Amino acid sequence: MSDFEPKVVAFVCNWCTYAGADLTGTSRLKYASNVKIIRFPCTGRIDFMLLLKAFANGADGIIVSGCHPNDCHYTSGNFHAKRRWIMFKELMDFMGIDMNRVTFSWVSAAEGAKWAEVVNETVTRIREMGPYVSYKELVNKTIEEEVKNE
Amino acid sequence: MARIGVFVCHCGENISATVDCGKVAETIGKLKHVVLSTEYKYMCSDPGQTLIKEAIKEHNLTGVVVSACSPRMHEPTFRKACAEGGLNPYLCEMANLREHCSWVHEKNELTTEKAIDIVRTQVEKVKLNSALQPIKVPVTKTAMVIGGGIAGIQAALDIANTGHKVVMIERSPSIGGHMSQLSETFPTLDCSQCILTPRMVEVAQHPNITLYTYAEVESVEGFIGNFTVKVRKKAKSLDEKLCTGCGLCTTKCPQKKIPNEFEQGMGMRPAIYIPFPQAVPNRPVIDREHCTYYIKGKCKICEIVCPTKAIRFDQPDEIIELQIGAIVAATGFDIKHADFFPEYGYGRYKDIIDGLQFERLASASGPTSGVIKRPSDGQIPKNIVFIACAGSRDPAKGIAYCSKICCMYTAKHAMLYKHKVHEGKAHVFYMDIRSGGKNYDEFVRRAIEEDHVNYIRGRVSTIYERNGKLIVKGVDTLLSSMPVEIEADMVVLATAGVANSGAEELAQKLHISYDSHKFFAEAHPKLKPVETNTAGIFLAGACQNPKDIPDSVSQASGSAVKVAALFSQNELTREPLVAVVNRMGPPLHSTCVGCFLCQAVCPYQAIEREDIKTRDGKVLKSLAKINEGLCQGCGTCVALCRSKSIDLHGYSNNQVYAEVVALLNEY
Amino acid sequence: MNNLISRAKELLESKTVNVVIGYEAGPTGLARPAFITDSAKADKLIYDERCVQNLAVYLTKAEVKNFGKMAIVARLPVMRSIMMLISEQQVIGDNLIILGISEDNSLLDIASISVMQGYIDKCDLGNPSKDREILAELNKMTPEEKFSWWQNQFSKCIKCYACRQACPMCYCIRCTVEVNQPQWIPVQANAHGNTEWHILRAMHLAGRCISCGECGRACPVGIPCHLLTMQLADQVWNYFHVHAGTSDKMNSVLSTYEPNDKESFII
Repeated sequence: MSDFEPKVVAFVCNWCTYAGADLTGTSRLKYASNVKIIRFPCTGRIDFMLLLKAFANGADGIIVSGCHPNDCHYTSGNFHAKRRWIMFKELMDFMGIDMNRVTFSWVSAAEGAKWAEVVNETVTRIREMGPYVSYKELVNKTIEEEVKNE
Repeated sequence: MARIGVFVCHCGENISATVDCGKVAETIGKLKHVVLSTEYKYMCSDPGQTLIKEAIKEHNLTGVVVSACSPRMHEPTFRKACAEGGLNPYLCEMANLREHCSWVHEKNELTTEKAIDIVRTQVEKVKLNSALQPIKVPVTKTAMVIGGGIAGIQAALDIANTGHKVVMIERSPSIGGHMSQLSETFPTLDCSQCILTPRMVEVAQHPNITLYTYAEVESVEGFIGNFTVKVRKKAKSLDEKLCTGCGLCTTKCPQKKIPNEFEQGMGMRPAIYIPFPQAVPNRPVIDREHCTYYIKGKCKICEIVCPTKAIRFDQPDEIIELQIGAIVAATGFDIKHADFFPEYGYGRYKDIIDGLQFERLASASGPTSGVIKRPSDGQIPKNIVFIACAGSRDPAKGIAYCSKICCMYTAKHAMLYKHKVHEGKAHVFYMDIRSGGKNYDEFVRRAIEEDHVNYIRGRVSTIYERNGKLIVKGVDTLLSSMPVEIEADMVVLATAGVANSGAEELAQKLHISYDSHKFFAEAHPKLKPVETNTAGIFLAGACQNPKDIPDSVSQASGSAVKVAALFSQNELTREPLVAVVNRMGPPLHSTCVGCFLCQAVCPYQAIEREDIKTRDGKVLKSLAKINEGLCQGCGTCVALCRSKSIDLHGYSNNQVYAEVVALLNEY
Repeated sequence: MNNLISRAKELLESKTVNVVIGYEAGPTGLARPAFITDSAKADKLIYDERCVQNLAVYLTKAEVKNFGKMAIVARLPVMRSIMMLISEQQVIGDNLIILGISEDNSLLDIASISVMQGYIDKCDLGNPSKDREILAELNKMTPEEKFSWWQNQFSKCIKCYACRQACPMCYCIRCTVEVNQPQWIPVQANAHGNTEWHILRAMHLAGRCISCGECGRACPVGIPCHLLTMQLADQVWNYFHVHAGTSDKMNSVLSTYEPNDKESFII
């Protein structure tokens, strides 16, 4: 498993974490290249279904990050997102879908260093956990069935 | 069929030093619908931008991906270049190869692969972009200022002086606010009335300002540039055009025992009254709650004595509707009164007064003509105690914040007292002295050093009466918490500044947010201190939090500039990255079911209700509708909507979905 | 029961309502919904242990709405559903007369929505006790056990959407599963599609589920899908101290927030 390189998708808000990740770059801090960022206007925009879509398309880990509470550009998007993630996480835990593969964080536009840490910590953790076999199997099982049916 | 052009920037060597730009361009060039994939040293340079403009024409591009630095840096640059090249600017996306790739990773194959993934994701996104047009919103160039205190006055005058119309609404019979009640002002000790009244008169006489006193906001509808405000003009019970303000009625009114609000209850006024001699407008109103005629059905003495026959007992309240482009809320604050404090006798002791009452005692136009006389027996107090932080910074009393103005006015009060009663002794109990501000600390030092005010750092635990004296018990924390007991003749509490009565109700009418203390909330605590979350509504003065006069005036001028900037255009142009509720033909009209849970989630009150009606007016269906003038494009409603009936331009469900798929799958 | 019948007759005869929605005994003796428009037929109304279906589901149907004024036989879950439907603007409270039935099967005098609220406030609003026990057992499992337990359940799913049809809160005219641009949920009834469908359904009911259990009862293949929404109802209470369906003016927990909402997983 040592040569396993996880695929990690980051869903981030434009105003804090995306800008924070920009700062990581301007500060030339290095982090694992496994993480790729998708920009949203706000964490409030991030549909929980997108997390499932990411797993279904082969992500081994996910980072969701936005403005710290009270710092939201739109004042309350991150508070709504927080409630959504609380519910989502509880449901996933109840269904045995591994939420250790998802990092939720608040990274501000000034926290370039924190972004690098969040990424590196997540990649290290996912690397240890290995590929997300059980979700991939769900999808693969499906494809096999389809092939069989055809 | 989509025709996408991809431009990979080297950014000098900032990108190309770690990313193999040639390989990125080549790999992306093989993607479906990519008709041009090229690289260049500096895309943001003039030749770089020209490259894009020419390519748009030459290759008939329907979308452009500039793979360079952060879109937060150059998105406007490249969108503008595309527009100049003849492509809708919203058909241009940026792939962030610098901040999110070349600068944060080592030079290796994985880094180049990541760069390819990033570009491919944007290519897939841009295919789903739609050509958007900027949103134009017309602007009604009339401002409304709610509140006629110093903040409202300043805002109104500043806006009016830029040449725009202003309507000022004041709920009491005169403008002037708390500042008109003050005796002198810190840190200069100049007379408050002397600097304020010329401004009040200017408001009344300004050709661009329409003043409605004794009036309140009834309802507010609409959005930035286009508010419809209903104002209730309470009946003054007189014809203002006929009234000359001679004041004869006020002297003849037989009901003279009504506590005078302006004097903070320390004087009396008749039922028909002008709140204070310099009132603007200088016309009386009848206080119907206390007027003998309205209570008992007879009297009408004012009507009999009025030389111009201006009294109108049957005058009704009038509702007027105004078209307004921007609103400045300047409704001010109030203070807690002595009855809030059990430890100080719940207001039982007449000689424990609050700061505003002291202002009236010290004012030359006040009930004692500026002589400091205590309320109980009119004696001049020989020993006076001022207590700072009465209520403020006391979470146990529910007021955790600092009221900000009390340290300064307490120093001022102590000085005024010493200037008027030379042989008297003034003591101040304080927690900390907060005197930040130009010439503020010097002012406090003067009170201590030149006027010999006795400052005691400690809190007062209790006050009770003994032999006609108020016994003030406290501690001096700078002397090892030694108990202090002072026999005072009068005590002045610097009580906490609190939100004005009716603040919550007004905030709800305006659809602006407010904090747990009912102070109005700014859009951003640092960078948008005069804006509210509702576009087109601004804040001035102490309705936001307790403020002194200079701060209130500065903020008022700030909000006036915001209004003037808004009014400098005939139309408001907004980024079209807003949410939209889908619409379709009958019978569905939309997949929206009208649960309106999105309304609660929207921080901008941008979601309205739209009724689909038959020709005869029967409501077939109610739908959510996004007001483009208000929506800021956060997309929280989009993620909440269960039936996926709302989508967000620029970050549509289709686009973000395509990004996830493209980022994780190789093609 | 006689009280219920006489009250229904009275309402129909006086034209206070145009229909009484309740239960009648079907040909096999099972209870089935009844829409009584003629007072002479009100004698058919029954009320006993067989009457478990959540009748509130009919209130959002166009053909039922067309009746205008109506009365509905309602035990606690139906009352709570009605509260949710009013607060989500799907049902007009003034059009409804509640024929409330207490825990011991007697007719309650519910004159208004606020009286109903008073009644609801006094009730135990947690999940039904038998479901509580199962939830407790499931919550003891390891993540792997939970995953395989649920996958085993979902493998039975034929995507008939009976769970959706039975739920009073699933009143959308177009469900996310019917959206194909993008195709959020795989169409097929397979492991992937079934799992994501059940996640989606539970998330959409988070803070809105009133624990009637109708979805689980409706499932023709016996998937206890009501446990998913009930688990979330429990968590809504744990985190936000809210029970759904306790007022006609409530916002769902996911469309509101408190700045001090507590969680322990966001770094």
